[in-house]
Amino acid sequence: MEQYNQFEIILKPYNVDLVSGVLWELEISGITENEDKNSIMVYSKLNSNVNSYSVKTLLDSMRVQNLIESFEIIETSIENKNWNEEWEKKFSPVRIGKNFIVKPSFKDYQSTSDDIVITIDPKMSFGTGEHETTQLILEAIEKINFKGFRVLDVGTGTAILAIAAAKLGASSVTGIDNDEWCKLNGEENVELNGVKSIVEIKLCELHQLDNSQFDIILANINKHILIEISDLIFSRLKKPGILILSGLLISDQEGILKHYEAYSLNKIDILQKNEWIAMVLSQ
Amino acid sequence: MAKKIEGYIKLQIPGGQANPSPPVGPALGQKGVNIMEFCKQFNARTSDKTGLIIPVVITVFSDKSFTFITKTPPAAVLLKKSLNIPKGSAEPNKVKVSKVTKDQLKEIASTKMPDLNANDIDHAMSMIAGTARSMGITVEE
Repeated sequence: MEQYNQFEIILKPYNVDLVSGVLWELEISGITENEDKNSIMVYSKLNSNVNSYSVKTLLDSMRVQNLIESFEIIETSIENKNWNEEWEKKFSPVRIGKNFIVKPSFKDYQSTSDDIVITIDPKMSFGTGEHETTQLILEAIEKINFKGFRVLDVGTGTAILAIAAAKLGASSVTGIDNDEWCKLNGEENVELNGVKSIVEIKLCELHQLDNSQFDIILANINKHILIEISDLIFSRLKKPGILILSGLLISDQEGILKHYEAYSLNKIDILQKNEWIAMVLSQ
Repeated sequence: MAKKIEGYIKLQIPGGQANPSPPVGPALGQKGVNIMEFCKQFNARTSDKTGLIIPVVITVFSDKSFTFITKTPPAAVLLKKSLNIPKGSAEPNKVKVSKVTKDQLKEIASTKMPDLNANDIDHAMSMIAGTARSMGITVEE
């Protein structure tokens, strides 16, 4: 896993807007503000060109201009580990829709004959069943006949949707994600659910996938990306085929619908929970 | 009954691109917040501002649930975006890198207004002008 540099910068005076605006000129990945300690934490990938010297040079130039009075930099190296461990401890079985039960491997659940149990150890991937966007898409797919169909799950995360499709009878499921954690975690979860012969997890972008076409495509991402990759999604969808989109806010509905209807896709259903929606389209 | 607030987390990350790596992972992880859920919500809400630096204040409650509000980008970030320059000058008094017009200053000041301690738009414009000068950007008189 990738390593990061952490620079704790103690500032006098503590003017975050001014200093952070300049620090973003470096190749950093983000900043945490600690008002209580008059410090900010700046993070950069270990293989980036950011180091104590480049940070000091920028801050020195601000000191020369009397924009800051003084500063101190403390540099440490940190490993990108599973930061979600603390939250995972309280992750409990959750019922979604009529039959889905999503549970972590370390908690028992007494299932009934109608239950479709999906075991997920989420770690640093998205898709625990606790979020509305996952719940909505699971509720949508529960109503669809997957028997014998080829399925693509774009942005598979924990592989929760890919596993659900396999348990509903899909003949083969391909889950793709561009995040290394998701590849590792997705494969772990596929194994935990005994669907390894049906589900394959690939570390790639949609344009890197071979030219296969799919009967059903699932994509729980966000509006911006779903618009950006719409050509690719459409080219992978068999005719007739079903496309289910999630990760969308109510305010995204009009824009997304208009965009996808241009591909001759028709709205079949829209599901809503709080501020989130999922959309079922077909052609 | 209102939920008990456990603390606040203040971050700056690019819009639409939150992921569980630092700073999001360590900051939220140590408070026991579901990191991936935050990333999902943040990316959905800022998908029209992809790549723009967004300060975010996350309120963490004692049951580990959270809410967040986004703030306006740092003034220097808005100036660089408006003037289409990659960085400010290393020697702002000697080397000028760009020029900002009154209209551009007003637009940036209006954007920043909710997060500035400014009495009115003129005051806000003078604050942004100060940042501009410190970056080697000439301010139109």
